[in-house]
Amino acid sequence: MCILIIADIKNNQINPATAELFTAANTIAKDIITTVYLLIPCNDVKITSNYRPDVKTIVIGMSIYNYNAQGLSKAIASIAHDIKAHYIIGLHTPFTIDFLPSISIEYNAHCITQVHTIQHDEHLTFVRGSCSGKLDQYIDIDNKPVVASIAPGSFDEYVADDTDNSINDTINEVTQITIAAAEKQLCTFITKENKDSSLDEADIIIGVGKGIGSKDNLTLIYNFAKIFPHSAVAGSRIVCDYGWLPYSKQVGITGKSIAPRVYIACAISGSSQHIAGIKGAKTIIAINKDNDAPIFNISHYGVVEDIFTFIPQFLEYVKRL
Amino acid sequence: MSIPYKILVCIKQVPDANAKIYLEKTKPHYDEKTVYVINRYDEYALEEALQLKDKGLTHYIHTISAGPDRIQKALRRSLEMGADEAYHIVTGDDDCAIPYYVAQCITDFAKNEYDIILTGVMSQDAMNQQTGQLIASMLGYNYATGVTGIQTNDDVITVTRELDAQTSMQYALKIPCVIAVQSSSIIPRYPSLSNVLRAKKQHIGMIKPIMSSQVQYHSFYTIPQKTTECEFIQGRTDQKVVELYKILHRNAVV
Repeated sequence: MCILIIADIKNNQINPATAELFTAANTIAKDIITTVYLLIPCNDVKITSNYRPDVKTIVIGMSIYNYNAQGLSKAIASIAHDIKAHYIIGLHTPFTIDFLPSISIEYNAHCITQVHTIQHDEHLTFVRGSCSGKLDQYIDIDNKPVVASIAPGSFDEYVADDTDNSINDTINEVTQITIAAAEKQLCTFITKENKDSSLDEADIIIGVGKGIGSKDNLTLIYNFAKIFPHSAVAGSRIVCDYGWLPYSKQVGITGKSIAPRVYIACAISGSSQHIAGIKGAKTIIAINKDNDAPIFNISHYGVVEDIFTFIPQFLEYVKRL
Repeated sequence: MSIPYKILVCIKQVPDANAKIYLEKTKPHYDEKTVYVINRYDEYALEEALQLKDKGLTHYIHTISAGPDRIQKALRRSLEMGADEAYHIVTGDDDCAIPYYVAQCITDFAKNEYDIILTGVMSQDAMNQQTGQLIASMLGYNYATGVTGIQTNDDVITVTRELDAQTSMQYALKIPCVIAVQSSSIIPRYPSLSNVLRAKKQHIGMIKPIMSSQVQYHSFYTIPQKTTECEFIQGRTDQKVVELYKILHRNAVV
């Protein structure tokens, strides 16, 4: 069997979370002898180390500044064809998801996106969140090749075991594939300077969802946060779209990934987009009036209450202490 | 000369965030009181099209959606927001949940009729995030996803594509192209009274879906497994307050 792993690119480097895909690949392979290829979608990132001694690395001969989703997906499909890939997996990030589904059309494969679990018992099944995270969709794998995106944080990063003493920093085999000049385009990168590191430094982060209702109501959340030293307030994407919080406070796939000691999700339902950003939190506490909210599935403690009644009482209690 | 552009906006009707969901055998089922709305990302796609119309760059915005009869409400709403024509691909609930099939139906309808095809970056319920890419590949068009800004210059469209909260990419797409729009700080408009009145009289075109609604893969749904054993704090509100304080104290954040 053959698995093609697509490295994700972040800040002009290989996204370290790419290592999670090696664990996903091991789950897919189970006991089947498998050749694993690592594909790097552009030739201007530093290839730092090999993840496994047996992995062959393929580099697409295209600069990230000439990125073109159509050209790239065709090139990957043709590589997949040459190596007879059964599975092509990438991270479910804005960078990779742009071209990944197109490979499925060029390569005549299934396309399964935002997978969070892979089960390999008697059958191989990919599991993804659906219905706003309220249900999981199980997809049985047949003989057709599969292109899949894996939600970041779903698998542990692959760590070579001690017996893998052949692991080293050299690249075993690199093949460069060149993309036709006609399919290159000129890209500029725009980086907004962000000196706001409050979400990286906070011990406790209070997250707020659309349920807060208005920017004015955020005062309640700020007052809640003030109780804790080293705290910060964050929000789901929609809260930032509405301008209630700046985008630098957005947590999720398109925002930040956070890893505080405690995360308190206030009126956040818990879409898989948001959940992918909070998996690093050591303790997750959810306050939500809907006891079916998917956020409770990944929380350590749950409070089924309306934040507008619960938080004021909590503030009152702390004041009296 | 490409202006005025012919634009197609693909929209999906989705249950609103408060909808109660049940499992019926192994399929999702929403109760009859469920309120359905236009997928929020598709509203941003439609808003981008309407802003091009405001600038006089198009007077030809069509919307299309696949699904059962109830989706006509979403299509009607798109007319109220300012779309010129709306088309309904008549399918069952199961078929319109398969991105590949929906992309096939839209591709078959769009053929080479449109300069710009806009979609939301994903649907807020299924979150597949692939229909736009599939349509583009089936048609062989240039495309970009996660787009938060569109600038036009005749047959070249410059898109700003968001990579994360800090980083965006900017590049030009030659039309015809497909653009999957990410939500941003632009606010999709409310229907104006004149548009609401106009939309009342408008006919929604019925489109027969393409054949072969063969299911691509076998899938079923379940209640998500809990990855943590969530300990629900019990009691009256004041008791929960005390209990939560103790937990926070144990975790050394207060």
